[in-house]
Amino acid sequence: MCIDKKEVLRYLGYKNQHMDEKLNNLIDECMAEIKSISKPKYVYDIFSINKDNGFTLENTNFILEGKNIKDHLKNSTKCAVMVATLGSMVDSKIKYYEKISLTRALILDACATTYIEHICDGVEDEIKEIARKEGKNITFRYSPGYGDFSIKVQSKILNILDANKRVGVTSTESSILIPRKSVTAFIGFQIEEKEKINKCLSCNKYKSCSFRKGEISCGY
Amino acid sequence: MDIREKLKDSILFFDGAMGTMLQERGLKRGEVPETYNIIYPQIVKEIHQKYIEAGTDIITTNTFGANELKLKDTSYSVEEIIDAAVKNAKEVAGNKYVALDMGPIGQMMEPMGTLKFERAYDIFKRQVIAGTKAGCDLILIETISDLYEMKAAVLAAKENSNLPIFATMTFEEDGRTFTGTDPISMVVFLEGIGVDVLGMNCSLGPNESKHIVTKILDYASIPVMIQPNAGLPKIVDGNTVYDVTPEEFGTTIEELQSLGVRVFGGCCGTNDNFIREVVNRLKDKDSAKIENKEFTAVTSATKNVIIDEVVIIGERINPTGKKKFKEALRNKDIDYILKEAILQKEKGAHVLDVNVGLPEIDEISLLRDVTKEVQSIVDLPLQIDSTDPVAIEAAIRGYNGKAIINSVNGKESVMKDIFPIVKKYGACVVGLTLDEDGIPSKAEDRVKIAEKIIKRAKEYGIDKKHILIDCLVLTASAQQEEVLETIKAVKMVKEKFNVRTTLGVSNVSFGLPNRRLLNKTFLSMALASGLDAPIINPKDDDILETVYAYKVLANEDRDAKVYIDKFKHVKNVKQDVKTSDLTLQEIIIKGLKAEAKDKTIELLKEKSALKIVNEDLIPALDIVGNRFEEGSVFLPQLIISAETVKVAFEVIKEKIKKEEEQISKGKLILATVQGDIHDIGKNIVKVILENYGFEVIDLGKDVDPMKIVEVAKDENIKLIGLSALMTTTVKSMEETIRLLRENEVGCKVFVGGAVLNEEYAQMIKADFYAKDAKVAVEIANKVLN
Repeated sequence: MCIDKKEVLRYLGYKNQHMDEKLNNLIDECMAEIKSISKPKYVYDIFSINKDNGFTLENTNFILEGKNIKDHLKNSTKCAVMVATLGSMVDSKIKYYEKISLTRALILDACATTYIEHICDGVEDEIKEIARKEGKNITFRYSPGYGDFSIKVQSKILNILDANKRVGVTSTESSILIPRKSVTAFIGFQIEEKEKINKCLSCNKYKSCSFRKGEISCGY
Repeated sequence: MDIREKLKDSILFFDGAMGTMLQERGLKRGEVPETYNIIYPQIVKEIHQKYIEAGTDIITTNTFGANELKLKDTSYSVEEIIDAAVKNAKEVAGNKYVALDMGPIGQMMEPMGTLKFERAYDIFKRQVIAGTKAGCDLILIETISDLYEMKAAVLAAKENSNLPIFATMTFEEDGRTFTGTDPISMVVFLEGIGVDVLGMNCSLGPNESKHIVTKILDYASIPVMIQPNAGLPKIVDGNTVYDVTPEEFGTTIEELQSLGVRVFGGCCGTNDNFIREVVNRLKDKDSAKIENKEFTAVTSATKNVIIDEVVIIGERINPTGKKKFKEALRNKDIDYILKEAILQKEKGAHVLDVNVGLPEIDEISLLRDVTKEVQSIVDLPLQIDSTDPVAIEAAIRGYNGKAIINSVNGKESVMKDIFPIVKKYGACVVGLTLDEDGIPSKAEDRVKIAEKIIKRAKEYGIDKKHILIDCLVLTASAQQEEVLETIKAVKMVKEKFNVRTTLGVSNVSFGLPNRRLLNKTFLSMALASGLDAPIINPKDDDILETVYAYKVLANEDRDAKVYIDKFKHVKNVKQDVKTSDLTLQEIIIKGLKAEAKDKTIELLKEKSALKIVNEDLIPALDIVGNRFEEGSVFLPQLIISAETVKVAFEVIKEKIKKEEEQISKGKLILATVQGDIHDIGKNIVKVILENYGFEVIDLGKDVDPMKIVEVAKDENIKLIGLSALMTTTVKSMEETIRLLRENEVGCKVFVGGAVLNEEYAQMIKADFYAKDAKVAVEIANKVLN
C-alpha cells in the first residue's frame, strides 16, 4: 500500500491515543478507497532560469516574484516546474460522504492528502534522476503559499505547463486548485546537496500550529 | 454550399494544431496565443495557408482561449481578438469554411469549482456573438472535459447564432474525461441538445482513441468527428514530445474512417504534414452511412441509463403525503432532501424523480436549486417532475446531462408548453394518457391518447424514442374495475408503438391495508405486460425484490448474477434486536451510531427529552471534548462521537415536535466565504454546535456576502460564523464583515480557518477568533445565552 498510514494518522492529529478496532478498520478502508478512486496524473517541464533579467524561466513569460522562491533557487540555473493531481472523483466522493458520514469524509481527506504527497515524491524522484544525469542534485519541492511565494501564481504555473489540457487541473479566481488534491511545485537543479531547512519557520501559522507542539511537523 | 448539406454525404477535413505551429514560430509558454491575431497576423495567416495547401476543408480560427477570463491580462477585448482572428482566416480561406474555435474557459464550474453556469454561458455567448458577426461558417467547441461546460457552450451557440455546431470532448485512456464523462453519456447529451457533429479530440493519439471512437459510433445517429493528438505526450528528459509520425497517424485515421468516422483533423503535436497525409489517404473514399440508433437513454454528467431493461425511478423526493418532507421544503433544508436522494441511490434506484411542488413555496427557484444540489452529490440521472412549464425549464436549463421531464399529457395546451422545452434541451419526456376529458376508463382510449402524444411530439422534431408513455395507475380501492385496464393499456402501447413505458406503481394501493402486498403484485403484473420504468419507493425492500426477481425470470439478469449476489446471504431467520447494555453516555463516547438510536428511544420512555439532552448528551459531549483538548482522543474520535449525538438528537427532535417543547439554544449562521470551497472545517463546527442544541443555518461554501446579510436580517440572527482556508479568501471574509456592519446587521461575527489567528481576526474586524469547534461552542454560549 503506497499510502503511509502513519502519515494519515498524523494529518488526523493522532498522538498515540488508544484507537479501537472499528476506527482502525475504517482508516484502512478509507486508504483503499482513496487508492481506488484516484486517477493520479502529473506533468512537469524543465526550464533554464534567467537571473539577469529579473528572475524568469526561459522560453516562458513567467517571472518569479518573492524573496523566498529566489532564495530557494539561488544556486540553480535550471528548475523543474511540476503539477500533480489525484483527479476530480476524490473531491466528489469526499463531498458525498460529508452528507452521510463526516468521520469518513475527514479520514478520506487525510488519506488523499497523504496520497498526493506520495505521488509528488515519485515525480520528485523522476526529476532527481534527470538532474543526476547532468551531475546535479535537487532542492526540495517549493510550492506557492510557502513563505512569501504567493498562491496567486497558480494559474500562471498551470498555463506554462498547459496543465488544464494535460492533467485537467484548473485554478479558481481565488487561486484554489481544482481538483482539490492537486499540487504545484518548483524543484531547482543544483550542485549542492538538498538543504535540510526548517520549513516551519517560513509558515504564517508558526506560532499557533498544533502539529508543531509535539515532536512532529505538519509535513510541509 | 452550407456545410450542413455537405455533411450529409461527404468526408470533411479540419486542420491540425494551431498552438504547436505557433510555438514553432516563437510563441512563448504562458503567452496568450490569441494575441498573435493582432500582433503577428502574418504568422497566423501563414499557418492557415499551410493547412489549406495540405487539403483541409475547414480552417479553425486562432481563438481557442479567446474568452474574457483568459484575455483579462492582455490589452485586447474578446471582440477585438475574435474579429482579427476571423479576418485572418477569411483573408486566406478562399472557398474553405472558417470555424470559430471555442475551447474550455479554464476554470472549473460549479459544483466542483466556483464558476457559475450562468457566468460560463455569458462568457461563451460573447465569443459566439463576436464570431458570428465576424462571419464564421460554423462553431467548433472542443477539448471540453466537463459536460456542464459543454452545455453552457452549446446553449450559448444555439441561442445566439444559427451556425452549425461541431462539439468534441477530450477523453483519457480509461475512456472518461477528467471530470468523469464517458462517451455514451456524451453522445446521449450532445445529440439530445442538437449539435450537428460530435466526437473527440486531444489527449490521446489515434491508436488510443480507437476504443472510445468505436463506442461513440455505436451510439451516435449523427456524424462523428475525431481530432487526435500526434500520439501520447511523453516526457523525455523534461520535455514533452509526441511520437507518432504522419504516416502512422494516417494509417490509423484510415482505419477509423472505415469504422464510420466522417470528419477528421488533428490536435496537439500535429502539423500540415499530418493533415496532408490524412487528406491524401481519404479524399476519394465514400463516407459511411449513418444509421439511426434506436435506444432510449438519460444521463447525468458521469452516468448514463439506457432503458433496455427494467429501470427503477425513485419516487421519494416528493412532498405529497409526507409531513417531514414538506417541513424540510419550507425550511429549505436541502440536507434532508439530499439524504433522501442518497438513500434511494444506495438502495439501487437508477433514476430519481424530483418533485418539490407545494402551494406556498416558490417552485421555480426551489426546483432549480434542488435539482442542482442533488446533482452535486448523487450521480444518477434525474426526472424533473412539475406541472409548471416555467419551473421545468428553469430546472432543466441548469441540469447537467439529459433528464426526463415528468410530464406532458394529451391536452393540446400542455403539449404546446412542454414539447418545445423537451426539444430545445434534449430531454426524454413522460406522456400521461389523459387529455381535456380526463383519464379514459378504457385501455383503447388511453392508447389513442398515447398515439396523439407520439404524433404531436414528432411535429416538434421529437422522436418516439425520447418518450415514456404512462398509462396511469388508478387506485384499487376507488376504481377497482380499471386496474386491469392500465395493465392492458401498457401491453397495447408497447405492441403498437414500441415505446418505453412508465407507471407510478404505488398509486394502486391507496386506501387499502397492507399496501406493499398490492404494490408488489401489481408491479409483477405490469412488468410482465411490458412496463420498463416503474416509479417506486426503492427503500421498500418488497418492491425492490420484486424487480430483482422479475429480472431473473425475464432473462434480463443473465445467469441470475445480480440476484445471487444480492440474496446469497439471506437467511430466513430474523436476528434478535436487543438494545445495548451500555449507557447512552458510554455509547456516545465510544461512537456507536447504530446503538444510539435504540437507546435514545428506550430512554425517552423514562425521562423527558430535555432531561436526556442535559443529563446524557451534553455531559457526554463535554467528556469527549475535554479528552480531545487534553489529547487523549483525536479528531476522528471526536467527530464519531459528535455524529452519534446527532443520531440521538434526531430521535429527540421527533419527540419534541410532538410535544412542542423547546430546546433550541438559539440560531446562528455558518458559511464558508465567497471564493473559498473548503467545507470540512465548517461542517465539523456545525455538527458540534448542533450537538450543543444550537440551530445552525448552514449557507454552504463560496457564499455571496450579500446572501449572508440578507439571511441574517430575515432571520434576525445574532451570531455568524465565517470560515476561510486560504490567504486569498480571507479578503472575502473581511469584505463580508464590512458589508454586515455597513448594512447594520446587529450581530457578532466569529471567524476560523487554517490561515487565521487572533491578530488576523482582529485586523479584519471580527468579534471573535475560534481556533476550533470547542471554542466556537463557548462563543455561541456567550453570545446567544
